[in-house]
Amino acid sequence: MSTVLEESQVQSVPAKRKRKRGSHNFSGSDRTTLGVFVGLPTLLHICFVWLPAICTILLSFTFWDGIGGLKNIHWVGFTNYRQIFTLDDQFPIAIRNNIYWLAVFAFIATPLGIILAYYIDKNLKGTKLYQTAFYMPLVISAAVTGIIWENVFFTDGIINSILHNTNPQTAIDWLGQPSKNIWVLLLIASWRHIGYIMLIYLAGMKAVDPSLREASAIDGAGEWYTFRKVVMPSLRPVNVIIVVITIIESLRAFDLAFIINGGSNGLQTLGILVYQNIEGSSMRIGWGAAYATLLFIICLGPIMVYLYQNFSKGND
Amino acid sequence: MNEIISENEVSRRSVLKGAAAGAAAIAAGGIGASTLGAPAASAADPLNVSFGSNNSNPPGPEEDAAWVAAAKAEGINVALNVVDHNTFQNQINSYLQGTPDNVFDWFAGYRMQFFAQKGLLTPIDDLWKKIGSNYTAGFAAASTGLDGKKYFVPTDWYPWAIHYRKSVWKKAGVNPASIKTMADLVNACKTFKSKGLIPIAQADKGGWEAMGVFDIINMRTNGYAFHAGLTGGRSSFLDPRVQKTFANWKTLLPYINKDPLTQSDQTAGTLVLQKKAAMIIIGSFTSGLYTNKADYNDLALIPFPIINPAFGTDSIDAPIDGVLASNSAANNLPASEALMAFIGSTKFSGIIQAISPGLFSNKNSTVPSDPFIQSQVKLVQATKHVAQFFDRDSRPDFAYPIFSDSIQKFLTGGDPKAIAKNLDAQWKALPPV
Repeated sequence: MSTVLEESQVQSVPAKRKRKRGSHNFSGSDRTTLGVFVGLPTLLHICFVWLPAICTILLSFTFWDGIGGLKNIHWVGFTNYRQIFTLDDQFPIAIRNNIYWLAVFAFIATPLGIILAYYIDKNLKGTKLYQTAFYMPLVISAAVTGIIWENVFFTDGIINSILHNTNPQTAIDWLGQPSKNIWVLLLIASWRHIGYIMLIYLAGMKAVDPSLREASAIDGAGEWYTFRKVVMPSLRPVNVIIVVITIIESLRAFDLAFIINGGSNGLQTLGILVYQNIEGSSMRIGWGAAYATLLFIICLGPIMVYLYQNFSKGND
Repeated sequence: MNEIISENEVSRRSVLKGAAAGAAAIAAGGIGASTLGAPAASAADPLNVSFGSNNSNPPGPEEDAAWVAAAKAEGINVALNVVDHNTFQNQINSYLQGTPDNVFDWFAGYRMQFFAQKGLLTPIDDLWKKIGSNYTAGFAAASTGLDGKKYFVPTDWYPWAIHYRKSVWKKAGVNPASIKTMADLVNACKTFKSKGLIPIAQADKGGWEAMGVFDIINMRTNGYAFHAGLTGGRSSFLDPRVQKTFANWKTLLPYINKDPLTQSDQTAGTLVLQKKAAMIIIGSFTSGLYTNKADYNDLALIPFPIINPAFGTDSIDAPIDGVLASNSAANNLPASEALMAFIGSTKFSGIIQAISPGLFSNKNSTVPSDPFIQSQVKLVQATKHVAQFFDRDSRPDFAYPIFSDSIQKFLTGGDPKAIAKNLDAQWKALPPV
């Protein structure tokens, strides 16, 4: 992760300078090279990202069961969207879950990850051990994560054993009750997210000049004040990445919900609904595409606003 | 439904009454009259054919290896392509539209007819003229598409019923033969509850397990014709009869475990195996959990009791598994038909029986003599109407995630009226087939 950060920090500056210089200084071979280096990725990007995305948006206005070619795709206008908003009672649950996810990540998991990074950065005793322990959840594959936590929260699992009630007649049903299972899921997701944020922030903090902090301390600033006014501002590129990651991870949430119960019974997310309708046995491509389009629009909003705000400030 | 087969150890089975009628006639091992008019191939010109298997879970690979070797001995070279069961299921549409194997594993019911209707299968009427006499009328009907052509060669089947351990019921003082009506069942449940047992183990984590319970209670309450109409969309969920079904089901809910949506068919079946629960309403594949011989011999089943005397116990869910010929088989018809005839033969069933006992569709197949298998045969023979299973009888885009979600809502206290209203609206919103 650290390399990604460094690149983004380093690149942002020269990229701006280059633009000012203008293109008339390039020789013919420069242009060819640039053409290949810019053109090829652009072409691939258009072919593999934008064309499928546009096709998905187009498909969301159709009925198609995934069988046969164009002649079996029927244009139905906004029917899929209308049905999703009026008929589908899983859609509100999915939206609710994505919002919960975003809220829990933004207000609990991400701040916790930052606090952990801050304390680990102080090189306390056993730092390496903590660092490994907090990062471990990310190394474990999602499938294994699901199985581990299922054993913890199953009716005769660890939690209920501690509560001395594993009888399926009376014990707490953590995973099967729609009012409880979403919180269990968010706990698992946060467990993974905290380590992720911690690592990214730690890498960023290592790059902050320690003399800044020393100077601040000498000037009599408290720890909290130093963190807010000195450390945080110097980490702006990292903060952008963390906000974007937090938003994207919560909106595209899929794997853990899918592993726990296929994403049914209160664990629906938008990503799950896209999958169920496109890839599962139901093959309702139009609905799935409509969910995907809605998800795309929802993702686009907050990220564009945040990036715009940050980079426009950066240009001052 | 995919999980049913994938997790089922006794994987080769079949449905329909009378399947085993002539079984006793054949010598043990099923090596009797094997060739049912399969094109006789000499070793000089072997037939090459590809086969897509979804039999990925144990003992599937062992079974596949055994019959592929036997087919080779008959001059049919099979290129076997095994795919994980759930993956196979999920990718069936793109599989059939891409470069599918000539012959592949699938199920009877609407899920087969759907692909036939879409032109993704090769009809095998000529083959059926040769092998038809090996099957009862019920199997023949289950092998037929909506256009009247034959597409399917059934291999094996299993019934859904109340499964229990004899020793548990004996200890609690409940006589299985006394469970004739719903009231008897509820009384038995009360007894089990007073003994500290979970009366009925209920699973629905996968969204399909409780569909079988809906099926049987609906067929007992309203009869097979109404149920078939409901799965096929000819009857409406707004029909007051649906509410009767839910009301009858509700009388059993106080006696199920409180965590049905946490339990899978495997974990709920294990509650019965471990004598924590008294019974489970599920397919006979639950016997796959009974790996210990003594436990297996303790396993038994009874039909779901009578609810409406007008219908008695005349209907049952008993899904049929078998094989289909894809579009690619049209270019390799003789070899594909030879393979399908072989898979429908008693030689094939004999090979599978030797690995995992079960019930086969070919009426000349051997039926294992153990009492549990015999009770499955008896159950189906005493039944007039055989349904496949909700998700095999209904539209795939209705069964999941619409119907599965509704049943999960019902089990977590959802209002049956609101559920039925939503199901009706959702069915009407489905794209035309």
